[in-house]
Amino acid sequence: MGDSGSERERLMHGYEFYVDPSRCIGCQSCLNACEECETHRGQSMINFDFIDRKGTTASAAFVCWHCDEPTCAMVCPADAIKKGDDGVVQSSLKPRCIGCSNCVLACPFGIPKIFPEREQMMKCDMCYDRTSIGKRPMCATVCPSQALAYVRPEQIAWRPEKPSNVFYFGKQRITTKVYVMVPANTESISLDVLDHIWEEAYAVLPEA
Amino acid sequence: MADRDFSKQRKGLVAMDGAMALIVLLVIVQIWLLSAALEGLLAGHTETALPAAIFSGLLFLCCVALTSFVGRVDRESREE
Amino acid sequence: MPFFRKPDSEALWKEEFSIHAADERYVSRRQFTKFLTLASLGMFVGNLWILARSYFTRSAVFPRSMVAGIGEIPVGGVKLFAYPTAADHCILVRTAENEYNAFSQKCTHLSCAVYYEKETNRLACPCHHGYFSAMDGSVLQGPPPRRLPRILLERQGQEFVAIGVKVR
Repeated sequence: MGDSGSERERLMHGYEFYVDPSRCIGCQSCLNACEECETHRGQSMINFDFIDRKGTTASAAFVCWHCDEPTCAMVCPADAIKKGDDGVVQSSLKPRCIGCSNCVLACPFGIPKIFPEREQMMKCDMCYDRTSIGKRPMCATVCPSQALAYVRPEQIAWRPEKPSNVFYFGKQRITTKVYVMVPANTESISLDVLDHIWEEAYAVLPEA
Repeated sequence: MADRDFSKQRKGLVAMDGAMALIVLLVIVQIWLLSAALEGLLAGHTETALPAAIFSGLLFLCCVALTSFVGRVDRESREE
Repeated sequence: MPFFRKPDSEALWKEEFSIHAADERYVSRRQFTKFLTLASLGMFVGNLWILARSYFTRSAVFPRSMVAGIGEIPVGGVKLFAYPTAADHCILVRTAENEYNAFSQKCTHLSCAVYYEKETNRLACPCHHGYFSAMDGSVLQGPPPRRLPRILLERQGQEFVAIGVKVR
C-alpha cells in the first residue's frame, strides 16, 4: 500500500481528532463556533445531544466521524459525497445533492443533516478550509474542556482514556478517522442499535 | 477500501495524459486518411482506398493498445 | 462487456462513481480515452466502406455521339458540342491538318468556359488567366489544379464520334 498512511498524516499536518463525551460540559461553545462559518452561517454542524435531559445534565457533542468506508458516500445516488486523499469525508457537493436524505438514513452515527428548504444535505467536514492548512477546526479550538480535541497523538497520550476508532454496529465493523476516547482496557465501542429502539418495547411481535 | 499510493497515482496520471495525447494525434491522422480516401473515391481514383484502409486499421490497433495501457494504469492505481 | 473485466475487480459502477475524490480524474480520462478509441474505430470502418465501394464501382458506360464531320472545321478552328449530356460543354480543336483534340470546356479551377487561342495554341480561361495546352489539356499557367478532361474521339467513316471521357 506504499506510504498512504504517512501521506494522510502529512496532508493533515500530523493532527488527529479526538472526541471524549465524558468531558463535555454542555456549554455549546462548539455549536456557536461552528455556526459562524460562512458556508452554513446560522446552522451548526455539531450533533449535540442531552443524554437523559430529565435525569442528568450530561451532554455529548459529536462531529462527523469521517469513516474509512463512509456509508453516506456509498449510498448516495447522486455521487455527491466524496472522500479525499486525507480521509476527510466532504459535505455533499452542491451541484449534485438532490436532497433525498438517503445518507441521513444510512449513517450509523446519524450525522448528516437534511435541509429540505435547500434540498441539500450538510454535515461536518472537519472545517476543511482550516484543517487543510494546518489550523484546528472551530469546535476543537473553542471547546473549553477539550471534549473535542484536535491535537497530535503524543499530546493525547497522557490521558487515562485511550483513543479508539473501531465501532461495531451489530456484526458490522466500522473504522473511522475521528477517535473516541474509551476506557483503557476497551478495544472498541459496540452498539447494538436494536437494543435501544424504543419501538421494540411496544411492537406486537408475531407468534414465534 | 484503504487508501491508495499517492505517488503512484500521480505518476499514473502523467502516463495517462501522455497516452491520451498520443491517441488524439492518431485519431487526427485517421481523420485525414478518411478524408483523403473519400476524396479519391469521389474523383474516381480507386488506388487511394486500399493503403488508406490499411493504415487506418493499423492506427486503430495502436489506439486499442494505448487504451488498454490506460486501463492498466488505471487498474494498477487502485491496487491496495 | 463484462467478459473484458477481471473477475476479482470491483463492480463497474463502483469504479465509475467512486467515492474517492481522487478517482474522478482517472474516470474522466478513462472515459475520454474509450471515446477516442470508438472514434478511431469509426474512422477505420469508414475507410473499409470506401474500400468496399471502390471495388464495386462500375466503370461508366459512355454513349457514342457524333461530334463533327472530317472537313467541317478549318485548321485552327473550333467546334463547341455537348458530351455526354447536354449540360457538359466540350470544345473540339483542329490544331493541325490531321490533329483533332477534344476537351471538356469547364476550366478545372472554377468551371468557367475556356476558349481557343490560336496564336499560342492553348486553351485559355478568361476568369483567372488559366492556360491549358491544346494538345493534351495539361495546365500551362494559372490557378487550375488539374488538366482538362479529354474527350476520346474515334474516326467513324467521315465523322468523328465521341466515345468516352478521360479525366486523368
